[in-house]
Amino acid sequence: MQKDATLDAKGLMCPMPIVKLAKKIKELQVGQVLELVADDPGAKEDVPAWTQRTGNEMVEMKQEGSVFYFYIRRKA
Amino acid sequence: MVEVKRVVIAVSEGTFDKAMMAMMIANTAVSMGMEVHVFATFFGLNLMKKGYKPKAPGMYRMFTGMFRKKMKAVGVDDYPEQVKMAAELGVHLYACSTSMGVMNVKEAELLPGVKILGAAGFLNIAADSDMQFFIG
Repeated sequence: MQKDATLDAKGLMCPMPIVKLAKKIKELQVGQVLELVADDPGAKEDVPAWTQRTGNEMVEMKQEGSVFYFYIRRKA
Repeated sequence: MVEVKRVVIAVSEGTFDKAMMAMMIANTAVSMGMEVHVFATFFGLNLMKKGYKPKAPGMYRMFTGMFRKKMKAVGVDDYPEQVKMAAELGVHLYACSTSMGVMNVKEAELLPGVKILGAAGFLNIAADSDMQFFIG
């Protein structure tokens, strides 16, 4: 998956991955893709909820063991 | 663009759990692009005071430091940083004017950016809200 930036939120629990994601996405240009890495079990539901609510695009998500990888295209 | 939702949170207690819950909901909501208003009343008014460090409730009071340490370990900042972040992210913070009188809190003791509001002012904001939380 092609990405323009990465945010490593491993070790952070709710709501910090979301709070940091909201800040980080603003550093990207519209159309660029951010990779978010998180191991908060809540992230699986929380990150798609965030993209849905903010109008950004979830391009892909995958899980390796207990770690989630989200690829989010900045839309808004 | 998605429609902006308005969240109102009323807090009437100032213990660690309630203070943290109020700020975690507020900071998550504002990070989701929502408009957030936090109204602090009675013992919750302490949350709007400079330098306030909430303690865990009742007999858990002595374990406050442990809770703070555990939250810090998972990247969740302590209350003073949470409320500072809320203000920076654009969360609207209000102090109940009657509670200020009852609790003897002066305007100069409030955190920067906290507005003083009465019940009618808060209800006016809540009347057009999409979600309401009461933490007390």
